[in-house]
Amino acid sequence: MSNLIFDSVTKIFGEGSSKYVALENINFEAESGQLILVIGPSGSGKTTFLTIAGGLQTPTNGDVKINDSTINSLSKKQQTKLRLEKIGFVLQSYNLVPFLTVEEQFKFVDKLKNQNLTEQKMHELLSDLGLLELLKKYPNQLSGGQKQRVAIARALYTDPDYILADEPTAALDTDRSMKVIELLRDLAHKRNKIIIVVTHDLRLKDMADKVYQIIDGKMTILEK
Amino acid sequence: MFLAIKEMLHEKLRYSLIVALIFLVSYLLIILTGLATGLANLNKAAINEWDASSIVLNSDSEGRLQQSFLSQDEVASLPNNGTRISQYSTLVKSENGLKENAQLVALDSKSFIFKKLKITSGSKNIRNNAGVVSDKFKSDGFKIGDYLLVANSSLRIKITGFTPRATLSALPVVYISPDTIQSLNKGVTNAVVFKNTLNNSKIPKGTNQLSIGSFINKLPGYSAQQLTFNFMIGFLYIIILIVISIFLYILTVQKLPNLGVLKAQGVSTQYLVLSTLFQSFIMSVIGVIIAIILGEITAITLPSEVPIVIDKSNIIVTGIGIIIMSLLGALIPIRQIAKVDPYKIIGG
Repeated sequence: MSNLIFDSVTKIFGEGSSKYVALENINFEAESGQLILVIGPSGSGKTTFLTIAGGLQTPTNGDVKINDSTINSLSKKQQTKLRLEKIGFVLQSYNLVPFLTVEEQFKFVDKLKNQNLTEQKMHELLSDLGLLELLKKYPNQLSGGQKQRVAIARALYTDPDYILADEPTAALDTDRSMKVIELLRDLAHKRNKIIIVVTHDLRLKDMADKVYQIIDGKMTILEK
Repeated sequence: MFLAIKEMLHEKLRYSLIVALIFLVSYLLIILTGLATGLANLNKAAINEWDASSIVLNSDSEGRLQQSFLSQDEVASLPNNGTRISQYSTLVKSENGLKENAQLVALDSKSFIFKKLKITSGSKNIRNNAGVVSDKFKSDGFKIGDYLLVANSSLRIKITGFTPRATLSALPVVYISPDTIQSLNKGVTNAVVFKNTLNNSKIPKGTNQLSIGSFINKLPGYSAQQLTFNFMIGFLYIIILIVISIFLYILTVQKLPNLGVLKAQGVSTQYLVLSTLFQSFIMSVIGVIIAIILGEITAITLPSEVPIVIDKSNIIVTGIGIIIMSLLGALIPIRQIAKVDPYKIIGG
């Protein structure tokens, strides 16, 4: 059972008159098998929240814990290793390496992790996501929805404890947005992952297990 | 290096253009180095063949053989294991009209220099107005038994043998005996060459001992010529450095968003840096190999009058130099890679 905890996390940028509080005293907890939505308007602090959860930034105050170990005290190198092994990122754009085919995106992960997963595992994953026919295609030959599905598959390929998704549906129409979020929810439930989706798309609220809202750096949980 | 290779294979045109630039500059570098070596050899090949350590000349000669005249007393007070050199520059002609500017160098047939001379054809005989001549004469049509008619003189030198790598100050050498040169320069001794370096106490007043290296550097025009070539070669190395830096910098800036996302996904900076260094290394190796092959072909096809020598040591030094410059050129883009903050890419 994995968990991700924000314990009184505050993030402040700048000093003096240019001081800006991006996150204020955030308490947050996520457990395996949950799809969690973090919603809020632009500039509310959603992405700051996501990057702190992914170890890309450290909080000014408070602790971020993964499976009860504090990640903000890790060195940059350790944080990079943590991201490679425990976290899967799904981003709005630039998700895929442009000069690698879909198949090579997965082989690249193998090389990075010095693992040699069987082709069967890769094919199973791609088959589950309906991507098998895209194996030899480059990202610029895929539609927006296909790119996001490949990005999700790649994020899952390393079997991370949790997946952080930043506006994964921003470039998609309603139908495709729903499909992607359904896919993420199924993955959270069936594969027992923590999936945190940061979005300003309120249409997705009903699909999540928990919904948090950030406004002006303050986080509240919304009743469903 | 999976990422580096895949990127190069996918972006063939971009990387081929950089390889083409490295090749062009490397090719120019190899040709210039070859010419520098060839011209240097033309000046000093004969001296290298002597396999000597030092030379004693008149102290007022500024290290120039032609300007040095040693008195009989000075020569006599030097150790007798040296080779006395008497030199005379002139035009020689064959009986059938072939002409050649040459350096006549007179030495004793028992001297260590003469004993060291190699013969490619004929015999090693300089008695009775005979001469062992540079094989440049052979390639210009002279044959064993031909007579060299010395300009402004009645002296006739019979060619008895050809010797390789015998050029001095860019002119082919004709080795003759001291008796033969007597009629041209009254048998004056210009210098005495030694296998070893003499103790200063053995150097008579009015003379100066130079190492063979210093003596070569003082050959007329030699240092100026080599400095000019070295300047051009050095400048080309800098051009390679700049070209690689600019191209890799532009390529890196273009892919910064991707690099940021890769970092966010757990790809270490070290991996991305090594990837860029590897690309730079591969491009320079390919560029250098093509340049070497084409340089060798050029050297073979150029007319023999062009003094180009592309030898192994030149190729190794030039190749390593270009590869080092290429790796140094990758340092600026590497700095960009190290500075990419994934948060800024994701956070916008």
